[in-house]
Amino acid sequence: MLADMVPDDDAVAIDFALGALDGPSLRAAELRLRRDPEFAADVARWQADLSPLIDAVAPVAPPPTIWASVERELFRGLVAAPASSAIARGVGAAVNLWRGLAFGASSVAAVAIALLVARPATPVAEAPPALLAASIASTDAAKAILITATYDPARGAVILTPSAKDASHGLTPELWVIVGKDKPLSLGVIDLHDPQAHRIPQALRSKLTGGATLAISLEPAGGSPTGQPTGPVVAAGTLTVI
Amino acid sequence: MSGALNVVAHLAGIAAGDRAALKHLYDATSAKLFGIILRILAERSEAEDVLQEVYITVWRKAAEFDATRASPITWMATIARNRAIDRLRARGSRPTTTLDLATEVVEPSPAADALIDTANDARRVTAALDRLDPRHAAIIRSAYYEGLTYEALAAREGIPIGTLKSWVRRGLIRMRGELA
Repeated sequence: MLADMVPDDDAVAIDFALGALDGPSLRAAELRLRRDPEFAADVARWQADLSPLIDAVAPVAPPPTIWASVERELFRGLVAAPASSAIARGVGAAVNLWRGLAFGASSVAAVAIALLVARPATPVAEAPPALLAASIASTDAAKAILITATYDPARGAVILTPSAKDASHGLTPELWVIVGKDKPLSLGVIDLHDPQAHRIPQALRSKLTGGATLAISLEPAGGSPTGQPTGPVVAAGTLTVI
Repeated sequence: MSGALNVVAHLAGIAAGDRAALKHLYDATSAKLFGIILRILAERSEAEDVLQEVYITVWRKAAEFDATRASPITWMATIARNRAIDRLRARGSRPTTTLDLATEVVEPSPAADALIDTANDARRVTAALDRLDPRHAAIIRSAYYEGLTYEALAAREGIPIGTLKSWVRRGLIRMRGELA
């Protein structure tokens, strides 16, 4: 039969480059992508062969609000948060403190304390929604705290404060939330170098509740191509109300 | 300087932390990437979220871009496709787009699109696909542009998944043969 003319390796590389796999076959291909450089090169070649097809996609001008959001997220997330957010100012102070301290678990504790102290001392008429925090610790024996995450529902953003050396090994760290026994939901790719305000898509904000787990996996450039973690889960921690 | 070289220069600037370079890159590429994402996600608000994520990723990962291995737009388009497919799969049981694109003619690219350094390649790939069985070519295009799984495509086409897979794989191998 003609289909037999397609060698298995080629078939999987094609399927993966197209993005047509799902479920267990996808999981298997992803695993292979990390372990088999030859396979990864095949996938890259197919992606390159297919990429001229994007030429035929008609450009669509995005609304101007997108650039404003990108800019806000990247450049004003920590320095000039909305004036109404006392929390954000507190985080800014915590970040400065973080910068002034040596790396390590003790500085994480200091940041966590600073975050607690930084909550508004005089309650405003409307109580601000509770902050949630998680210490995301490495899943290996060392249990070193990799990053401290503080979720501010008022801003719809997680403030991420890395506390250890970058352990991403050139891969892309991706943040996940896991509620109970549900599948992990991607919160997007993150950075293990610098403190950052990481925006949470509106639809996922309700998932960030006390008891939910935040986890970090290492993914190929651009993040997991599948919607599920494909690389090793290097760190995890539980969100608790602070 | 060609559009592609511009994009490479912007990426180098971004890797060095130049915010203006990111704005230039955004202006030069966002409409294209938004088009790619919208084909996969269709839902505008989701597509907007993903577009934003893509540029945040580009800002953080610009230093990893290797001009010797991929064209800049291919690199960015791969990030955009991956993020959009990621989001599509995360929808889980929610219905995917109901557009019947199997027979849809792909829009011609605007002549003035200086961004893409692959216009020539695009003509060759299109010509190679056009030499395949039209139905096979249409399915390959759907898989690529809409980010659909084999399972979803087979259901839509009303054919066994094994048949569909072999059409796609054999079609692409023939396409590559034509390109060589």
